[in-house]
Amino acid sequence: MPLSTPPAPQSVQQSRGLQQRSRAAVTATGLWRAYGSGEAQVVALRDVSVAFASGQFTAIMGPSGSGKSTLMHCLAGLDTTDRGSVDIGGTVITGLGDKALTKLRRDKIGFIFQQFNLLPTLTAEENILLPASIAGAKADPAWISQIIRTLDLQERLSHKPTELSGGQQQRVACARALATRPEVVFADEPTGNLDTRSSGEVLRFLRKSVDDFGQTIVMVTHDPSAAAYADRVVFLADGQIVRDLDRPTADSVIDTMRGFENRVPLAGEAA
Amino acid sequence: MLRATLKGMASRKARLVLTSLAVVLGTMFVAAAMILTATMEKSVTGVIADAFTDVDAVVSSADDPAAAQGNTPSATLIPADVLETVAGVDGVEAADGDVTGQVNAIGDDGKLVGAFAPTIGFNWTDADTGFNEIREGRGPEADNEVIVSARFVSDAGLGLGDTVTAYSYTADRAEYEIVGVFGLSGDRDSLAGETQMGFTTTAAQRLLTQGEDAYMAIYVDGDVSTDAIAEAVGPDYRVRTGEEASEEAAQGFAVVADIMGYIFLGFGLVAVFVSVFLIINTFTIIVAQRQRELALLRAIGAARGQVVGSVLAEAVVIGVIASIVGLGLGVLLGWGLSQLVSSTVMGGLPVQLQVPATALGALAVGIGVTVLSAIIPAVKASGVPPVAAMRDAVNPPKPLRGITIAGIAVTAVGGVLVALGLTDNLGDLGLGGFLTGVGIAFVGITLLTPILSRPLVALLGSVMSWTFEGRLGKLNAGRNPRRTAITASALMIAVALVTGIATLVSSFKATTEELTDQNLESDLIVMGQQGANIPTFSRETLAEIKALPDAAAVGDLYGELFGAEVDDEPTTLYASEDLATSLAVFSGTVAEGSVDDLPDDGLAVNESAAEDRGLALGDTVQVAFADNTTAQLEIAAILDDSQLTDGWWVAPAQIEHFTVPKPMQAYIQVAEGADIAAVEDEVDSILADEPEVNVTNNAEFVEQQTGQLDVLLASVQILLALAIIIAIIGVVNTLVLSVLERTRELGLLRAVGMTRGQARRMITVESVIICLFGAVLGIAVGIGLGWTVQRALEEEGLTSFALPWALIVSYLVAAVAVGLLAAIAPAARAAKLNVLSAIAYE
Repeated sequence: MPLSTPPAPQSVQQSRGLQQRSRAAVTATGLWRAYGSGEAQVVALRDVSVAFASGQFTAIMGPSGSGKSTLMHCLAGLDTTDRGSVDIGGTVITGLGDKALTKLRRDKIGFIFQQFNLLPTLTAEENILLPASIAGAKADPAWISQIIRTLDLQERLSHKPTELSGGQQQRVACARALATRPEVVFADEPTGNLDTRSSGEVLRFLRKSVDDFGQTIVMVTHDPSAAAYADRVVFLADGQIVRDLDRPTADSVIDTMRGFENRVPLAGEAA
Repeated sequence: MLRATLKGMASRKARLVLTSLAVVLGTMFVAAAMILTATMEKSVTGVIADAFTDVDAVVSSADDPAAAQGNTPSATLIPADVLETVAGVDGVEAADGDVTGQVNAIGDDGKLVGAFAPTIGFNWTDADTGFNEIREGRGPEADNEVIVSARFVSDAGLGLGDTVTAYSYTADRAEYEIVGVFGLSGDRDSLAGETQMGFTTTAAQRLLTQGEDAYMAIYVDGDVSTDAIAEAVGPDYRVRTGEEASEEAAQGFAVVADIMGYIFLGFGLVAVFVSVFLIINTFTIIVAQRQRELALLRAIGAARGQVVGSVLAEAVVIGVIASIVGLGLGVLLGWGLSQLVSSTVMGGLPVQLQVPATALGALAVGIGVTVLSAIIPAVKASGVPPVAAMRDAVNPPKPLRGITIAGIAVTAVGGVLVALGLTDNLGDLGLGGFLTGVGIAFVGITLLTPILSRPLVALLGSVMSWTFEGRLGKLNAGRNPRRTAITASALMIAVALVTGIATLVSSFKATTEELTDQNLESDLIVMGQQGANIPTFSRETLAEIKALPDAAAVGDLYGELFGAEVDDEPTTLYASEDLATSLAVFSGTVAEGSVDDLPDDGLAVNESAAEDRGLALGDTVQVAFADNTTAQLEIAAILDDSQLTDGWWVAPAQIEHFTVPKPMQAYIQVAEGADIAAVEDEVDSILADEPEVNVTNNAEFVEQQTGQLDVLLASVQILLALAIIIAIIGVVNTLVLSVLERTRELGLLRAVGMTRGQARRMITVESVIICLFGAVLGIAVGIGLGWTVQRALEEEGLTSFALPWALIVSYLVAAVAVGLLAAIAPAARAAKLNVLSAIAYE
């Protein structure tokens, strides 16, 4: 498969991650995605090109309907694109069949969703090992126990999800996402359902996994204070990238959002 | 609200069709059963009524109403002078004495004519010519002439001008010339498959009344009241109108159709019972699918009653449509079955289709069951809180405590009844109480299936957990014990019934084999298949067999199976020309006294039979024989209990009082060193002139005894096939519900890398486990059922218990196949799941 080498956006060079910053873990080139047809057609992505550097923590922000979730789904191979291509770790995923995509998600991508992250029939530990189990592979025990220690889940391993708090559940989901050492972790509003304290724990862990383990993370969020944990924030509006902000703080994110939309999301006030 | 319901139904066609199918099947079988019974009754009644058209009154013995049908060998007779009395009553134009009974005729092939339907002998009178139509020749004029029915001609291979040999239980063989052939009105050859022979009255009396000038019934023609005749003949006789007699006679003939009707009614009721589970499940699914919709309705102000009404309205629509379709198919099936019964068993009886009002009951059953089954899900649906419209459908499993306690209590009640029945503590309730106990225990176990599903599903699942998706499938199967149990119950009930019957059959086979191998010292057996007759052979033939040089010992058996009484209790009597030798052949032993040279007034009886009546060696009992003679017999020997020799044995001198004073069976012990096959050939040639019996070796004997049971078993398995169809629908429904409820989970699994194949296998494993659970439970319950019934029948001679291993294995294989089949559609649905929409929550 030919390696596509899209032009790297300028911001990629300015990452504050520890490891090699030049290689892009995920690259999208000229993505178009529209839903429906005729009068009812909604264009969710218009010619989006963006690259996410390896070992960098990127947040995608934007108002409801801006296309941020669609962008993430397309990047992760969960949704198809109408035009353009996506490259993950050197593999062009656009146009791949279900089998190849499934294998790619299993081996190269970690997921953290807002809710329903865990299988209720399995224990916390079994949930962490889920992708490896599905693959019929053995996870690296040293790596797994390191993650578990970092997330402080040692005492919870044999618990079923219903016996865990929301924050604990989300930490288990984080562990699962990292368990296979994926090329990239996609987090879709990972703190959307959590209280401030639990949110902080999850976000600190994501930050730490980037700093200490060189993990690449792409997170969709509408919370400026969550975005402040990232190295870089990409702003979407009406299906296009409207701003690219490095080393964000909660305030700079709020300011930026004010800048392109005369309104601050309510969630921003809580920060 | 109704319009919303109907629109909703239109969008769930597939599920509704599947559910309807179960209701259709149940209604169809129930209706067909009722129609078959009514149609056959109507058809038979029509024919019999023809026969009684010119009969104004019938006189029969007051003791024995069945005598009018002539089917009882010991029919109480009406002396000739009563006929004269009846003829003398004012208004009687004609009074015909009827002599009717079973006779035996030897066909062209040397075998008995009509092995399975009886040959009826009767006295041919002028009165017979109305209903019977002479086709060829004439009626009998001399005592060695006979007119036969058209069916007789085709069955016996004999025709006009031929000579036929006929005899009866009490009359030796004699030859008759066929001088005529008659058919029945309506151009039929036979009424119900029987063959008929019309003799002169004298010849008929020689065959059927031991030559006595007496009759079984008197048919009266004339303008006369039954009361007048009754007054003339006195209280010893029963006088009925022709219509009454016709109805009673028809009932006798309709028995075959009744039995088939009951079988189909049984099938129908099992189908209906199983449908209940299916309907409950389907409506649970529908409610789950509509949870948001129902919650929204509640949120905008619909009352709980309206929600219940909306679900029940759907049930009514399904129930009505499915029941009407089922009734229609039931009419077709009932008509087809009637044709089948008519042409195979009833000799081409013209079928008059009759849809009884009770068939509409099937309609009520179908609708009622559907609506009642929908009530629980409907009430649950009304409990959906309005906020659920904004939440996801989460149905936490309910605790099983209530249902388990109820199940234990019900099972215990049934178990106690069964135990009491087994230990003879139920007194008069006896068998009825025992069977009720079995039924109650069955219901109790059904209530226990949810709690049983936990360990069993885990156990069965562990077999399939060698892949990760297999393990997930196992965990899913164990998630909702109620639903898993209700789904598996359909299969359980069918498998339990069939396994129970199969266990009884295999136990019977084992018992027969054991008896033959261990207790029977003989190598060859002379006996006949018991069909319409009790097969016998002549004393001379028995003597010839005994005289064979290679026959070391020959046990023989005479029996009085009809009206004998010991101390006023109806009792079967046996006799042997040489009881000592016969006991040796049957491995029977004497406990007290001696059977050597049993005196003419001597009696031998087994220990427990004597004990039951408080009798001991030397006691005297009064024995009343079927020929109305009585004798005081003294107990000369007590036999040890042994299945082959249990019973009351009288001396050879008493054989002449038996209804059939001929040997029924002979058991030949071949001399040491002699070739059994050669002796068998010799016996075979001796039996050349014996149409009713043949010789078999022990292995053939066992096969003969058990062969019919295999046919029974095969027909019972049809029930299983029927239940399997319904069970498949049930499993499909449950799996679809599971897939639906776990959309997000499936989405998550697919997102983190589960392939479509894995998702498919996960659902398939869940399906196979549910089916195996049903089958395993059914097999266990069936074995328990078979075991209790075997225990209950132990005293009747079912001493061995054996499991039908091959069948059990095949049921398990069938369960796996059902599981695989049922999983196809739901698994495809799971595999096709759109990952994105499954995990999206905006």
